[in-house]
Amino acid sequence: MSVSQVILVAVVLAPGVAFALLSLSWLLGWVPGERVVSALTGGVFSLCALGLAGLLWKLADSGSTTVVVTFGNWFAVQDYRFPLVFMADRLSLPFLAMTIVLSGLIGQFSSTYLHREPGFFRFFVLLHLFAFGSSLTFAAGSFDLLAGGWEIVGITSVLLIGFFQLRSAPVENGLRVFAVYRATDIGLLVGVFAMHHWAGSAFLGSGLPALAGRQVTIVCLLLLLAACGKAAQVPFSGWLPRAMEGPTPSSAIFYGAISIHAGAYLLLRIQPLLAQSALGSASLILIGVATAIHGTIVGRASADAKTSLAYASLTQVGVMFVEIGMGWTSVALIHILGHAMVRTMQFLRAPSMLHDDHQMHSAMGGEQAPAETQLEDLLPENVRLWLYRWAFDRGHLDTILDRWLIQPLLELSILLARLDRLGSPRQKPRSAPLAVLGAAKPGGD
Amino acid sequence: MPVLVPTAGGSFSGYAAIAIPWFAALVVALYARHVRIIGFAAALICAVACALPLGASPEGQTLYQAVMLLYACLTVGATLLLPRRDCTAGSIGGILFMLGATLLAYSADTLPVLLAGWVLSSVPFFVPRWFQTRSWRPRAGLLLSAIALGLAVARIAASAHTLSIIRLKGQSPGGMAAFGLLVAAVILRKGILPAHAWVADAAEGGPAIPTALLFNGHFGALLLAKVIVPLFTGASVVWFPILSYVAMITAVYVSIRALTENAPRRLLAYIALAQSAAILAGLESGTAEGITGALVHWYVVTVSTVGLFGILRLLEVRFGENLTASAHLGLAGHAPRLAVSFVVLALALVGLPGTLSFCSQELLIHGTLQSHPLTGLLLPIATAMNAVSVFRLFSRLFLGKRRTGFTAVVDALPRERWILTAGMVFVVAGGLFPNVLVARRSTEAELTALAARAQPPIHQAKPRP
Repeated sequence: MSVSQVILVAVVLAPGVAFALLSLSWLLGWVPGERVVSALTGGVFSLCALGLAGLLWKLADSGSTTVVVTFGNWFAVQDYRFPLVFMADRLSLPFLAMTIVLSGLIGQFSSTYLHREPGFFRFFVLLHLFAFGSSLTFAAGSFDLLAGGWEIVGITSVLLIGFFQLRSAPVENGLRVFAVYRATDIGLLVGVFAMHHWAGSAFLGSGLPALAGRQVTIVCLLLLLAACGKAAQVPFSGWLPRAMEGPTPSSAIFYGAISIHAGAYLLLRIQPLLAQSALGSASLILIGVATAIHGTIVGRASADAKTSLAYASLTQVGVMFVEIGMGWTSVALIHILGHAMVRTMQFLRAPSMLHDDHQMHSAMGGEQAPAETQLEDLLPENVRLWLYRWAFDRGHLDTILDRWLIQPLLELSILLARLDRLGSPRQKPRSAPLAVLGAAKPGGD
Repeated sequence: MPVLVPTAGGSFSGYAAIAIPWFAALVVALYARHVRIIGFAAALICAVACALPLGASPEGQTLYQAVMLLYACLTVGATLLLPRRDCTAGSIGGILFMLGATLLAYSADTLPVLLAGWVLSSVPFFVPRWFQTRSWRPRAGLLLSAIALGLAVARIAASAHTLSIIRLKGQSPGGMAAFGLLVAAVILRKGILPAHAWVADAAEGGPAIPTALLFNGHFGALLLAKVIVPLFTGASVVWFPILSYVAMITAVYVSIRALTENAPRRLLAYIALAQSAAILAGLESGTAEGITGALVHWYVVTVSTVGLFGILRLLEVRFGENLTASAHLGLAGHAPRLAVSFVVLALALVGLPGTLSFCSQELLIHGTLQSHPLTGLLLPIATAMNAVSVFRLFSRLFLGKRRTGFTAVVDALPRERWILTAGMVFVVAGGLFPNVLVARRSTEAELTALAARAQPPIHQAKPRP
């Protein structure tokens, strides 16, 4: 193995090792103190950042653009193989760097922000797991491995949404997000299967599976479903404000920076396939436009800072989807990196937004009246009122999903329960309301 | 005709693995003291006896030895996980009796022995002193499945000159009548639609850990892999796609059913049932991926469900038996280690990356989609719904506002903690290094897939074009 390959593997695995160490120490009855945890986190991400810098230097030095590490097959049955391949190229390296740098920054920020918080240790354990999952997603050399990292990011996201576990709302909202993730991840699972089935492999990079005709469209649409779920695109945008229940640092790194852009990363990866599928590209552009419009309107009616920022993120990710659909991959990549950095900073400053505002106004010599004209002022009064109600209910997206998908499913479940109870000595089942999949009101604290 | 070919041990260790638990059950019945120690020691010796011949066996012929070892290890875990309140001479004796009977069925080489193991393993659920349930449906399910198997064996005995499974291979003995009865036995014992209700009733009304052990014997899958596929090759080709559809529909049915279930035991039973149906669908897919996935998933399901039912019972003992998933109980504040064990085992059941079920589900889904591209989609859908249900159960039981009615409630005791940790290590280590298990099972899976695809040797139904 060359030095570059060793560095790549070390960078991907280091957060996972830190997660394993912290979890095992807890299981064995020793909970490290805040200083130890902060130092370990700082150390791991600093070393990873140095390693990545070294990797970039080595690549620049050698004139190469890609590092591939193959460990053979994770498991294999007859013709089906799960290849264990790590890959860092021009697309994955920026994402890897973003993950490592922002995770380190969030760790540093959280060691102060969550000081003496009961869940301090839990937060850092999950932060390491998240960084591992993200690194795995971005450094995966095959769609199979990418799916593994993808799922880890999802479960960590859900556990951090329910971070303040003593209140019901975050827990229920976490459940709702989990349901959306799992439902849309079916697209990824079946898409990967389709690649194996039709092309015999699911490798990433220059060796994308060779598909033709309708196969390309089917795979693109399946992966688009997964990307839409992870990136909270229309019609799945309803989970994003619910995710703001988590602590601010996790909101920053998940929904301002990395998790929200994972869908865009997946689409960038399959861009050569998208370019072959008019339906895939058109769907992507349509969803992106719809999400951008939805995000900008709903964000204007959001009452709290984090939700407004989340919708601002959503708008930008919608625009990124359009860029990818148009084939402007370099523009999309630069957009993602810039957006992630700015939005993380905005999220982290959100708790002190009022303080910042007061400081700004006092520096300007007193309270400044908003002077600019808003776009919505151009609309007639009744249209504005209708739009406000539409935006206040987040575009009715959750209501539509509840009424047309979840409620019928739950009613079917209750009907089956009645059938099952025939002849059973037990009492009749209580009807289960929408609380099954989270009925708590969305919104941050 | 050999009555018993002890595939577990070749000679002494195979017989010992079966006899020791029964002897220990007798000792416990006569000398009702130190029952946990006796039960633990007997199960441990049994596990060692099952493990001894494993290394010496040729590749591709270790499936039943491996599941014998797995079941013995599960029983070791169960004896440690049983709360003191439940650790009576009756329960330990019943568990040991079930262990012996299950190993007898696993190691059987003739149909009467398999029938004996099948019947004996369910006997404790008819004896009031052991695990008899309030509801009539579990007894009906077990009884009808035993009758169906008994009739099938009788039909085969009437039409064939031998009852040795090896000698009957590929002969379709007893014709479609025997095949139908065997399939009925699988459906009834496994809880496949429309015979699914007894499993949930048993889990809710019976003792949690022994019921989990009964269910995780996976006798239906055993009968399918050991008897139906090798003996009825022609009928399998024709009928397995239909059976596979039924199994997948069962998985979806119980997954939908679990979405609104608020009784924790019942909910877990539905999830276990869905996984069990997925195993059956994988075995019936006729593809090496599907069968390997099913065999590996068998391991995951057994370890996870016994662990989950065990944790649930520990919670019932500590916090009362009126646990519900309709409200947040906030038990993680009182029992954080039980909470972590629960979430790891629960997510391991539904394909969390880094656990063994990620690999097994991947193979299962690939296998079923490959054999039934459209209906195979039901399996990932069922898995997604199961994941939501199991996570709902976790969040309702463990998260939310901490209850203040309890004074001094302990988290997992050392014996409970260690055995739960062992379970978690198994599913996680298996997930990190899955090829250790997958490679061993894939050889058997390829053989089974080949057998399932083979042409019928005699007059049986025509193969699929």
